Parts: sequence; C-alpha cells; structure tokens
Amino acid sequence: MVVEALKLIREVEEEGRKRLEEAKESAARILKAADEDIKGLTEKVREEEKRIAAEIGDRYSKEGEREAETIMKNAEAEAGKLKATAESNLESAVNLVLEKMLGLR
Amino acid sequence: MGTNEIVEKIKSEANVEYERMISEAKENAKKKLEEARKEIELQKKRFIEAEERKGVEEKERMIRAARQHARKLKWMVEEEMIEKAFEEAVKRMKKVKRAGFKGDPYPNILAGLIKDGAQSIAAGGSEGAELELMLSEEDASYIDQPLLKRITDAIRTDKGVNLRLSLSGERIKSAGGVIVRRKDGKIEVSNTIEQRMARFSTGLREDIVKTLFGEK
Repeated sequence: MVVEALKLIREVEEEGRKRLEEAKESAARILKAADEDIKGLTEKVREEEKRIAAEIGDRYSKEGEREAETIMKNAEAEAGKLKATAESNLESAVNLVLEKMLGLR
Repeated sequence: MGTNEIVEKIKSEANVEYERMISEAKENAKKKLEEARKEIELQKKRFIEAEERKGVEEKERMIRAARQHARKLKWMVEEEMIEKAFEEAVKRMKKVKRAGFKGDPYPNILAGLIKDGAQSIAAGGSEGAELELMLSEEDASYIDQPLLKRITDAIRTDKGVNLRLSLSGERIKSAGGVIVRRKDGKIEVSNTIEQRMARFSTGLREDIVKTLFGEK
C-alpha cells in the first residue's frame, strides 16, 4: 500500500517535472517568436526608411532644381541686359581705351 | 495528508508553476516587443531627420552652384565686353591714323607718344643723349625733321633737357606708336599701342567696366 502510494507520488512528480520542462520550452518559443517579430519589424522599417529616403531626396532635389532654374533664368536675363547696356556704351569704352593707348589721358 | 492529497498538491503546484512561467515569458516577450518598437520608431525618427538634413544640404548645394554659375555668367559678359572694347580700340587705329582722334591728327598723337618716351629716358639723367625712334613702316612716314624739332623743343621747354632725336632705320611691326631707344641701346621705352595696352589694361579695367555697365 505504502509502496504503491510512493510510486504514484514519484510518477506525479515526474509528470510535474515534464510539465515544467514543457513550460520552459514554451517560454523559450514565446521569446523566440518575439525576437522574430522584432526582426521582421526592423526589416520592414528598413525598407520603409529606404522609400522615405528616396522620397525626401527626390523632394529636395526637385525643389533645388526649381530654385536653380529660377536663378539661372534671372541670371541669363540679367546677363542679356548687361550685354545690351555694354553694347550701347561700347563706343565710350573704346574711346576710353584709345585715349589711354594714345597717351591722351 | 493522504496520498491523493499529496498527488493533487504536486499536480496543482506544477500547474501553477507552468502558468507562471508561461505568463512571465509572455510578459517578457510583450515588454521586449514594446521596447523594440519604441527603439525602432526612435531610430526611424532620427533617420528621417538625418535624411531631411541631407536633403536640405543637397538643395542648398544646388542653389549655391546655380548662384556661382550666375556670377560666372555675369563675369563672362563683363570679360567678353572688356575684350571687345580692347579689340575695337586696336581695329580703330586705322581710322585714327586716317582721321585723327577727337580732332587731334595722328602725327600729333604720335609726337605725344615720342615725347612721353623721350621724357621717360631723360628722367633717368640722359642730358644731351641721342635717342632713336623705331616705328612701323606706316608710322615712320609721319616723321619728318620739323616734327622731331618740335618735340625736342617741347621737351627742352617742359623739362629743361636737351635731347637729340632721329628716326632709326629699324622698323617694327605694330598697330601704332613708337619705341624710343638711346642710341647706345642702354635704355628703351616702348610706347607702341600693343605695349601700352599690356601695361595699362589691368589698371584700365575698372574704368572700362564703369563705362560699359554704368547706365547712360
């Protein structure tokens, strides 16, 4: 009777140990799954970052192009005006050079 | 305590421990995931901020390059027109020789260049020196004795120096002007148009720019 009781207790204890082993394995699986989730999340964010970087780069690049284009258009217009002014004053400038070259100034 | 009670107690404790371990693992996993999410979001925010800064820098670089190009464009127009003024002046020499400049006939202008060169040599202490004039074939035709006398007289009056001037047999290639040289070859002053242009062009640029680009 006592022997059977002890045997039963040992069996139950053994079951209990197995149960705890299962618990450890399940806990490890839960944590591993969390790590996998984090890895997936990180990869997803890296992909998202690449897309965002391309968008940001493209946006500023386009803004830069637009402003540069405006600057160049204005510069070309200004250069055109400058040249026209210089052409209209060329005779005076030539006379100035001649005066100096001929020792009259 | 009976056997059944002991058995039930062991089972119950094992179950409690099982549930505790699973619950703790789930809690840890949840916490880990939350912290990772926060960290990833923070990194993403920093990444976006850095990309924004890079974008702004790139935009500013493009604008700076455009402004530099714009300045270069203006500078190129200035250079082109300054060069044109010099080129036109040289081309105009033929007309100057034919019709004079601002009412002054070319021989008078040439006499002024000769006088200037001779006075420069005289300033170095060449009292009584014999100077010879080297000119182009065309400009040599404007020189005669009365003109040379007029120049030496003018130098004597202005500077109190006696010089003797003569036309050299040596001819030079030049758009106009003269090289004045002591006969012993020790001193020479070049007053050719080309040399004067080389000498004065740097100093003259500012005045030319003002004349070309100042509004009329």
